[in-house]
Amino acid sequence: MHPPLPRRWPFGLTAGVLVVLAVFVLRALAPPYLEEQLSGWQLPDRVQDTLTLAISVIIESVPFVFLGILLSAVVQVWLPHGVLARHLPKNPILRRASISLLGMFFPVCECGNVPLARGFMVGGFTVSESITFLLAAPILNPITIITTHQAFGWDGHILVARLLGGFLIANVVGWLFSQHPNPQSLLTTRFAIACEVGSGSGHGHEHGGHGRDSRFSQTTEIFIRETSVIMPALFIGSGVAALTQVFIPRSVLLALGSNPVWSVLAMMALAFVVAVCSNVDAFFILSFGSTFLPGGIVAFLVFGALIDIKMLALMRTTFTSRTLVQITVVVGLMSAALGLLVNYVA
Amino acid sequence: MLSLVVVVVTLWLGLNDELGLYIHPRYFVFTIVMALVGLVLVSAGFVRRRSFEVEDAGRLATTLTGTGIVLLLVMGVAIVVVPPTTLTSATATQREVNSGGLGTDADQTAALIGAGDFEELSVREWVSLLAQSTDPAFYADKTARVTGFVTPDAQDPDNVFYVARFVVTCCAVDAQPIGVPVYLPGWQAEYEIDDWVQVTGRFDPSVSAAATDPLALTPVEILPVDQPNDPYVY
Repeated sequence: MHPPLPRRWPFGLTAGVLVVLAVFVLRALAPPYLEEQLSGWQLPDRVQDTLTLAISVIIESVPFVFLGILLSAVVQVWLPHGVLARHLPKNPILRRASISLLGMFFPVCECGNVPLARGFMVGGFTVSESITFLLAAPILNPITIITTHQAFGWDGHILVARLLGGFLIANVVGWLFSQHPNPQSLLTTRFAIACEVGSGSGHGHEHGGHGRDSRFSQTTEIFIRETSVIMPALFIGSGVAALTQVFIPRSVLLALGSNPVWSVLAMMALAFVVAVCSNVDAFFILSFGSTFLPGGIVAFLVFGALIDIKMLALMRTTFTSRTLVQITVVVGLMSAALGLLVNYVA
Repeated sequence: MLSLVVVVVTLWLGLNDELGLYIHPRYFVFTIVMALVGLVLVSAGFVRRRSFEVEDAGRLATTLTGTGIVLLLVMGVAIVVVPPTTLTSATATQREVNSGGLGTDADQTAALIGAGDFEELSVREWVSLLAQSTDPAFYADKTARVTGFVTPDAQDPDNVFYVARFVVTCCAVDAQPIGVPVYLPGWQAEYEIDDWVQVTGRFDPSVSAAATDPLALTPVEILPVDQPNDPYVY
């Protein structure tokens, strides 16, 4: 945590600028060159499409991931240590309930929530509280609410079911994990260590260097550290999502649309595979509105916002596989129940 | 490194007006702004020697198996060097043309019917008209001129193809193919799948016994055209 020696500055900066320029130049020159060399030859369609799909998921999510990391840096560096944790109610249930509403102030979609939830944990939240945030924030945030309302209005209770369902699921899962005897064991070893170091250094900063400069470099450091963990996960998640899209016919799922039970399950499977951000998934599913029963759509909107291929890869940076399986099963069962309820009752 | 790759690629696509190949225009500004912020932070990261040590921690990917790393490398390189393109017919076929419905409401369609100038209607608008009404009398006196790429009909690939476009709601990953059926036996001798064409013609009850659409365009003229700058519709 020592500030770098001043004389290293020019070297690092020069090297950095050169690397940035090199990538720019490569980007500018390589595609035209390749096109010329391989004129007429193309990647096979499916390979090409897999790549296009993966890139589109990455380009779509990265700004949200960056935003999430920046907000997470704000929580860790710019706010006094533990200030959020102090101002929340002490009663665990009320506390988690208010944490699940924090998303209203941090309108990043689910991919940005992962770094933010990591930041919260470093900043003093318990594991179950962070899980609550992670599961509630994608749905209980202003952008998602607005887009869902734009897409569906008040039709078929879809908006209400989505909000209540998201709130309920996040709190139930949070409560379940709060009963865990040893919550640290839910985390990957690497992240558990980072948490301890993080909270330790957090105290250190309050005594040590204030000033804009050190805060900016801390922000930079958090940014670099978090991106180096999240980006590989995002790439892999997007790659897998793209592969499944290209090789599993979507029509298989659509064929199941009109049955009350199957429509719910098919839509959850679709949500899992498509991996669209919760901020916009309402528009996406609107185009299937005529094919599927409302319960299926609710299940899509609730389950897909919380769990999908890309999200599991991202969350794996923080939680053990075992924890993720448990979360997925509980969220899946509750979403399915919610969808069936909407189909049969509403 | 991966963030750097993404940031540079995003900015480059932005500069060349090609971001539309991947994401919906409503995100352009946000994406570019965040990419610029990312560029600043990534560059600032180079200033700090520590960042190089930390970057080794990015090998967390090792836990995600060796294939993960290979995938990362391939994707990282491919993103930089492969020329950006649209989705192809392979995806259109796989997702079934017009299977999703459009979510256009009756009001919009009514406005289309009153529009008068039917030659100006796009693939998307014709598709929503065809979804509302398949009465041949309604289409008898109307000429359509639509632009899209060629993709074969699943049921009757020898006689029918679609002039198709992808509808994008968020990014290319959610693209839904839509298309207007064209009846032209033996079309595959003249046109390749994925060619961009402008088809002019009228809708007639489909002659094809196998095809699912009750109406199909009988082409009067088919012109090869360049892929438009903005290949998707929103």
